[in-house]
Amino acid sequence: MSGGNDTLSMRLSPFQKIYLLLVAGFIVGPFLPVIIQSLAFRWAWPELLPGTWWLEQREKSMLPLAWDYVLSPYSRVWEATVNTVFIGLVVTAICLAICLPVARLLARESFAGKSAFEFFLSLPLIVPEAAIGIALLMIFIRMGLAGTYAGIIIAHLIPTIPYMVRMLTAVYQGLGRDFEEQAMILGARPLQILWRVTLPMLLPGVVAGALFTFLVSTNIFLLTFFLGQGQVITLPTLLFSKISGGNLDTTAAGITLIVTLPGIILLIISERFIKEEAFGKGFGS
Amino acid sequence: MTARERRTRILQMLQLLPILSVLVILFGGALVMALLQSLGFAPWFGINTFPDFSHFGSLWGSQTFWVSLWLTLYYATVSTLLALVFGTILALALIKAFPGKWLYKYLYKLPLMIPYTVGIALAVIMLSSGGVLSRIVAFAGLIDDPGQFPQILKTHYGWGIIAVYVWKQTPFITLAVYAVLLGIGRETEEAAAILGARRGAIFFRVTLPQILPGIVSSTLICFAFNVGAFEAPFILGGGFPDTLPVVAWRYFNDADYTLQLQGMATVVSIGIVAGVILFAYLWVYRRYERRMGRH
Repeated sequence: MSGGNDTLSMRLSPFQKIYLLLVAGFIVGPFLPVIIQSLAFRWAWPELLPGTWWLEQREKSMLPLAWDYVLSPYSRVWEATVNTVFIGLVVTAICLAICLPVARLLARESFAGKSAFEFFLSLPLIVPEAAIGIALLMIFIRMGLAGTYAGIIIAHLIPTIPYMVRMLTAVYQGLGRDFEEQAMILGARPLQILWRVTLPMLLPGVVAGALFTFLVSTNIFLLTFFLGQGQVITLPTLLFSKISGGNLDTTAAGITLIVTLPGIILLIISERFIKEEAFGKGFGS
Repeated sequence: MTARERRTRILQMLQLLPILSVLVILFGGALVMALLQSLGFAPWFGINTFPDFSHFGSLWGSQTFWVSLWLTLYYATVSTLLALVFGTILALALIKAFPGKWLYKYLYKLPLMIPYTVGIALAVIMLSSGGVLSRIVAFAGLIDDPGQFPQILKTHYGWGIIAVYVWKQTPFITLAVYAVLLGIGRETEEAAAILGARRGAIFFRVTLPQILPGIVSSTLICFAFNVGAFEAPFILGGGFPDTLPVVAWRYFNDADYTLQLQGMATVVSIGIVAGVILFAYLWVYRRYERRMGRH
């Protein structure tokens, strides 16, 4: 191999080394001042570190400060966390139940209008969320679903279904029919085949799809904010209300870190289950 | 059709039904209702002048609508392009071997896992006039008052909005391109190198055409999202005239409820603009694919 050709060597070029460091700094660097801010009491311009820390003021103050406030019921952080997890779990369960049979059909059978259906399935990904959110709100107000858990859960199905179907279809395609056919030849009944052969083999893909759906649901802001009407708050909408004024005070910094936490947990779990190839699926071709 | 065929047909329909009802009734229904309302159909307000194009007329007739449209498309396009460039370079680096790669692969995906509102909070603490960047500039002795720091947030240049989108979407595009890169292997690049192609030529003539499907699908999703996003322009934008989703939201929450119909006209306009651009994009891409002899 010719020595100077960087594209083909398996080692990083000097540019790439610097680039990787810069990107890492861009992505996680800004969290450092947020952590500092969450621990500050007074952090005046142009100090690089706070002049007074939260722990110094803690005993002197009558009101809960910084983390004391964030972790108290006044901040509604706990309520928002419970809501986020609850909505995410229900959305994931419903999504899984309705997407599994469809994924099997798409992977294994042909039917009239299949390609039209597949195209329609990817539409929610490319229709702007604001359009859907406001249009749905109009309908949900009439139906009494605005500001309810049911309304938000139904709305969350729209952006999660396309991802779930794609991931599960890929799983079914990779599965092959041999094992199921053998079970059938050996006299297993359809339900038995589903329960004892198909599902165990699908499990890794199902876990990946479920994690991904949960992730998407917990990250949704716009649909929850528009349709929740302030009556149902989740972590993203709670943080929005804290920073909508355009500045980040001590408690807002603490809440920012709390909102980041589920993402870090999901990142660590999902790395084991979600294959990177899942994101590389082409579009409607 | 035999009875057996009909039975499988009915069974298939039953399995498709739940998803079809969510997508057709909710998603499709919402879009159709938005269109009807924007054309004057709102009997619950005692308004029914269908078909009435005056809401579109007054919306499209105002100059601020076109400024809003321009801002919406400008933020969406610039941030998608930046994320594409940053993401592609990152993906090309990630296929190499380097120490600590496993950790890096966790780290760069963090923005994918957390809401946009976190990104907005980060932009606020870094870029606002009293923020970290301004303190660093002061520390270097260049300014001695926060007012002297150039305003980055809340201007119509939208640097804050763009920064948030790029921060959140670079990992998304990286992942899409990286997945395709893993799939295609390196044989074609090696062949080109052996035949004497230089680095630039290898990237633009060999690698890029192969990763194009990943690029197109991921930029499509990012662009559509950016056009319809609300929270970043709401908090970090320059105020009036706002981007179209914020305009629609303000109309919708106006005390004068007849403005809701104008809000719906705004919503439909967002859909039309996004639809036209995305279909044009896909059409150009399909033509390119055909010219390349694929499909």
